[in-house]
Amino acid sequence: MSRLDPPRVSRRSFLSLASLGSFFVAMGTAAAGMFRLPNPAVLPGPVRRFKLGAPDEFSSGSETAFAEQNLVLFRDDEGFYAISSTCTHLGCTVARSKDGFACPCHGSRFDSKGSVIGGPAPRPLPWLEVSRAANGDLIVNADNEVPEGTRYRV
Amino acid sequence: MAETATREFLHNLHELPHTVKDACFRLGKEPESEREESHATFHNLFLHIHSVRVHLRTLKPTLTFGLGLMATASFIITIITGVLLMVYYKPSTDLAYQSIKDIHFTVSTGRFIRNIHRWSAQLMVLAVLLHMARVFFTASYKKPREFNWLVGLGLLVMTLALSFTGYLLPWDQLAYWAITIGSNIANSPREMTDAIGITKFFDPGGLQKRLLLGANYVGQDALIRFYVLHVFVLPLALVTLLGVHFWRIRKDGGLAKPEDPMGGLAEWGGERRPVFQPLATKTYGLMALVKGKRPPVNRGPENTVMSWPHLFWAELSVLMVTVAVTLVLSFYYDAPLKELANAAIPENPAKAPWYFLGIQELVSYSAFTGGLLIPVIVVVGLALIPFLDRRPGGEGTWFGSSHERAVFWQSLFFACAVTVGMLAFTVNYGWLRNWFPNIHQLWIIAINPGSLLVLIFAAWSLFILKRKDSVRLSAVSLFTCFLVGFTLLTYFATVHRGPNWHFYWWPSQWPVH
Amino acid sequence: MKDPSRIYRWLLLVASVVTIVYLVGAAVRENYLAQWRTVQQEYRSILREKATDDRGRELLAKFRVEMKQASIPALGTVDRCVTCHNGIDDPRMTDVPQPHRAHPGHILDKHPVDRFGCTVCHHGQGAALTFNEAKAEDVFWDYPLLPSELTESTCVACHDAEKLPPDQIPLLVTGMKLYQEKSCGSCHKLGGRGGTLGPALDNEGAKTKHQLIMTNLRPPHTMWNWQNAHFRDPGGVVPDSQMRNPTVTRREALALTAYMLSQWKRDVPESYLAPDKIEQKYRALHPLPLTGEQVYKQYCTACHGNGSYTRWDKKFNRFIPAIRGVSLIATATSEYFQSNIEQGRPGTQMPAWGPHAGGLLPEEITGVIEYLRSGAGGSGAPAAPAMTALTLRGDANKGLSLFLRNCAGCHGMNGRGGLAPEIGNPVFQRAATDEFIIRTIRNGRIGTAMPAFQRDEAPAFSDRDIADVLAHLRTLGEPKGQKAMAQNAILGTPPGGKP
Repeated sequence: MSRLDPPRVSRRSFLSLASLGSFFVAMGTAAAGMFRLPNPAVLPGPVRRFKLGAPDEFSSGSETAFAEQNLVLFRDDEGFYAISSTCTHLGCTVARSKDGFACPCHGSRFDSKGSVIGGPAPRPLPWLEVSRAANGDLIVNADNEVPEGTRYRV
Repeated sequence: MAETATREFLHNLHELPHTVKDACFRLGKEPESEREESHATFHNLFLHIHSVRVHLRTLKPTLTFGLGLMATASFIITIITGVLLMVYYKPSTDLAYQSIKDIHFTVSTGRFIRNIHRWSAQLMVLAVLLHMARVFFTASYKKPREFNWLVGLGLLVMTLALSFTGYLLPWDQLAYWAITIGSNIANSPREMTDAIGITKFFDPGGLQKRLLLGANYVGQDALIRFYVLHVFVLPLALVTLLGVHFWRIRKDGGLAKPEDPMGGLAEWGGERRPVFQPLATKTYGLMALVKGKRPPVNRGPENTVMSWPHLFWAELSVLMVTVAVTLVLSFYYDAPLKELANAAIPENPAKAPWYFLGIQELVSYSAFTGGLLIPVIVVVGLALIPFLDRRPGGEGTWFGSSHERAVFWQSLFFACAVTVGMLAFTVNYGWLRNWFPNIHQLWIIAINPGSLLVLIFAAWSLFILKRKDSVRLSAVSLFTCFLVGFTLLTYFATVHRGPNWHFYWWPSQWPVH
Repeated sequence: MKDPSRIYRWLLLVASVVTIVYLVGAAVRENYLAQWRTVQQEYRSILREKATDDRGRELLAKFRVEMKQASIPALGTVDRCVTCHNGIDDPRMTDVPQPHRAHPGHILDKHPVDRFGCTVCHHGQGAALTFNEAKAEDVFWDYPLLPSELTESTCVACHDAEKLPPDQIPLLVTGMKLYQEKSCGSCHKLGGRGGTLGPALDNEGAKTKHQLIMTNLRPPHTMWNWQNAHFRDPGGVVPDSQMRNPTVTRREALALTAYMLSQWKRDVPESYLAPDKIEQKYRALHPLPLTGEQVYKQYCTACHGNGSYTRWDKKFNRFIPAIRGVSLIATATSEYFQSNIEQGRPGTQMPAWGPHAGGLLPEEITGVIEYLRSGAGGSGAPAAPAMTALTLRGDANKGLSLFLRNCAGCHGMNGRGGLAPEIGNPVFQRAATDEFIIRTIRNGRIGTAMPAFQRDEAPAFSDRDIADVLAHLRTLGEPKGQKAMAQNAILGTPPGGKP
C-alpha cells in the first residue's frame, strides 16, 4: 500500500456483529410473524357439515337427494357414500337422469357413481366425506372430498 | 476438465455466505476505507439521501433525541401493520366491528399487530409534537430551513389527520362518538355565522361537516371516506411531504448544528487539526456542485465523521428502540375497543382522541373559537415563526441564545399559573352565559377562556419582546406558553372532565353508569 | 476520539434483543398459552378415555386442536363457544367436568348449534376465545352471558311463551303471572297499555348497562342483576324511586327478572320464528278485551288497592281515592267515571287510560266501570233530600274563606290537591256535576278521610255555605281564576277585587 492509498479502517468488533446480527434476527422473526397473518386460523363462513339423520333411516340400496345441501346420499351393502350434485364443469346443479346424472347447463353426463360419461366436465362428481356425529347421526362434510369408491361402514 | 470443475463448484458452494454478502455491495466487498464507505452511501438507493459525512455534533443523542427518526420509524411501523390489518378489516358498518373482533381473537398475531398499529400511531403523534418542540428550541428553523419548518407543519397536520381518520374505523362506541364530536367541531363556524345571521348564505361549517361525513350523520358514507383517506390519500400525501422534508434537510446542510469556533482546533484521529468555518450549505456531495462560498480544497474533516457506519448505526438503533418500545407496550396493553357503535346510546363523556382534547376543552366554551379560530391562529402563528425571527445565531444548540433558558422557565411558570387559574375560575364560577343568560353569542365568541388565554399569552410575549429586546426570546416565550397550554388543557380534559363535561377530581368519582 | 456510534450499537443490540424477546413471547402466548388450546387438549384425553367402541375411536381420530366456530349469517352471529365446549352435542359427555359437558336437556335436538349458534339464547360475546371475554360481564360488551336459570327469557324471541310447555319455562310463566297479580301495569306500559308513572317496559330486555343507574348496585353490573336487585328493593337501586316495594321472594324476583329480560323486540329472520310466534304478533294487533275485573286487577290495584277505602300512600304522600267506595258509587255517574278513567287527572299520579293513552279498549273501560260499581254494597249514601243548595247562588268570596278553613288543609291552597284529590283539576271540574260535588260535601265519603259537612246531627255547613263553597270551587277550574286565587290568597285581597 502506498501513501496515496486511503488508510484502512476496520470496524469489525463483537459489538457491531452482535448488534447487527440481533437486528437481522429481530427483523426475520417479525417477518415470519407477519407472513403467518394472511393464513386464516379459522375458516369463515357457515359450516358445510350437514347432519342428515340416523343411519337406520336409510335402507340398503337407497338413494336420497338433499337439494338444500346439494348432495345425494347412497347406501348399498358396502356402506354409505355421498356424491356432490355440483357439476365439475362450471358449477351448475346436476339433475338425476335414467342412468346417473345430467347437467342442464352444458350437457355433461355422469353415471350413477359420478364418473363422467359425456359432455365437457373435466373430472367426476366429487365423493364427499361421510362420518357420524357424537349422537350417531350421519354427517356429510361438503368441504372434504374422499376418493371415489370410499364407503362408510356403519 | 471435470475434476477441477467439481472442485470449483464445491469451493463456490462453501464460500456461499461470504459471496452472497459481498454481492450486496456494489463495490464487491464490504467497505474498508473511507472512500469505499462514501461509495457505499452515495451509490445506495436507500442511503444516498444521506450525506457521506456527518458532523459530530449532530450525532450526539441529546441534540435531537432521534425524535424525527422516531416519528418516521413509527410511521413505517404503522404502514406495515396497517397493510396487514387491511387483509382482514372490512370497511362496512355491518362488518367493521366484527372484523376487528376477529382480528383480535382469531387471526394469527392479529391481536399483537393491531395493538402495535394503535401504539405506534400514538407514538407517532407524540414524537412529531416533541420533534417540533425540539426543532424550535434548537432554533433549527432559521434560514435556510424556513421552508422545511413549513413542510414539517404540513406533516404535523397530516399526522393528526391520519390518526383522526383511523379512529373511526373500528366502528365502536369510542370511534363513533369521537368522530361525532370531531365532525361537530368541523361544524363550528356555524356558531359565528349563526351569531351574525348569515348561515343561510354562507355556511362553511355545514360544508366542512358534509364533506367529512358525506351525510348529516356519521354512517356508512363517513366510514368509507375516512377509510379511503386513512389508507390511501393521507399516507400518499404524507410520504410525498416526507420526501420533501428529507430532501430539504440535505439541501439545507444537514441537521442544524452550532458553528464551530473560527480558527479553533478539532480533534480527529488523535491529532488536533485546524477547523474551518462550516457553511450552512455544505453537503460533502462527492459528485455534486454545491452552493457555497468556498470549495473544500485541501481541507480537513472539520469535525465530521463518515455516515457509514456511524450515522447508520444511529438511525438503526433509533428505529429498533422505537420498535422495541412499541412492542413492549403492545404486549401488555390492548388497543381499546368498546361496544358496537350505537347512535341511541351516547358515550358520556364523549371524548375526542387525546391530541384533540385540548381543542375539545376550548370548544366547550365556544365552538367557533375553540374549533376554528384558535387552531388556525396556532397553525398560522407557528408558520410565521421562522419569518419573524430572522436573526442568525444559536442554531443547533438547546436554548442557544442568551437568557433563553431563563425566559423558558419564566414562561413555563407564567403559562401554568394563567392556565390553571383560568380553568379553576371557569370550574367554580362558570362563564358569561351563567351570569348573563341572554347575552349575545358574539360576546361569548370574543371573550372566552380560549380567546383570553391567547390574548394573555400574546401580551406576555410582547412584554418579553420589549423587555428583553429580542425577537427570538419573545418567540420562545410564546411557544412555551403554547406548549404549556396545550399540555395542561389536554391533561385537564383527559383526567378531570367526566360525564356531561363536569369537573371531577378523579375518574373514580364519575357516577357509575 | 471516542467512537461516536458506540452508544448506538449498544442501543441497537439491547433494542433488538428486547424485540426478539417480545416477538417470541407474543408467539408463545398465542400458540401455546392460549386458554382454548389447554381446554382442547384436556378434551382430547377425555375422548381417549371414552374411545371404547368404533364410534368413539372414530371421533378421537377426527378430533383436531383448532379454533372452531358456528357462523350463522342469518342471525348475524359467529359463535366460537364450541372451541372450548367441544362436547356440547356428544351424548356421552354427561359425567365430565365443564366446559366439556354436553348440553343439558334435549334442546339441541331441535336447536342444533350449526343452525342457531349459542349466543342467540345464552347471550355473551360469541366471538371471544377466552372464558372471561365470552362471559363479558366486565368487558365492553352489551349483552353478557345470561345465568343459566335466566336463559328461558330468550325463548320468547322466536316462540310464543304461552304455547311452550310450562315446565320448560317455569320462571317466565311465574313472572308473567306475577306481573299481572302485582298490578305492575298501573304504572308501567307494556305492549302499549299501562300507566305512565314509571318507564315503559316494552324493550326492557334490550337495555344495556349504560342505560341504567348502576351506582348502588353491587357487581356484577349486568342487566339481570340490576333487574333482580330492583325488584327486591326499588328504592335502594334507583334513588328517589316512586315505585313501592313489590315484596317478592327471591324466586319471584328472579321470575320477574326473566319476564323483563324477555321483553325484547328482536329482529329474528322469519325462517327462525316458530309459527305460533307469528300468530302471537298478529294477535297483538287485535287484542281481545279483558274483563272489567281483570282490567282492575292488572291496572288499578297497585294504587287503589281493592278500592273500597282510601289508602295513605307513603311514596306519593297523599290519600289515594277509594274508587269502589260506597259513597262514590252512589254519587258518581257512569259519565263521571268514564271521563276520569279516559282522561286521568293531568298533573297528578292518575294517568289517562283511554285507547290513545293508557291503551284500554272502550269495552274494557265500560267493563271496569261496571266492576267499580259492583263494589257498592251495604248502606250507601242516604236518600237524597231536597238539594236546596242547588238552587242557591253561591258567593265565591265567602266560599273562599270557608274553603280555606275547612278544605284547604287536605285539598291544597287552591284545590291543587295534596293529601286529598285535586279539586282544581280540569278533568274533575269538567266531569263532576254540581250535584256530585254538593252530595260529596254533604255526606262525605265512607271509608275515606272526607268528612260529611251536613250530617243531620251536627251540620258544619248550611245549604248556603255549601252553595258558596261550590261557587268557589268552580272558580278553581278557570285557569285565570287559579292564578288569581294564588296571588290574592297570598296578598290577602278578596278575589275579583283590585290588587
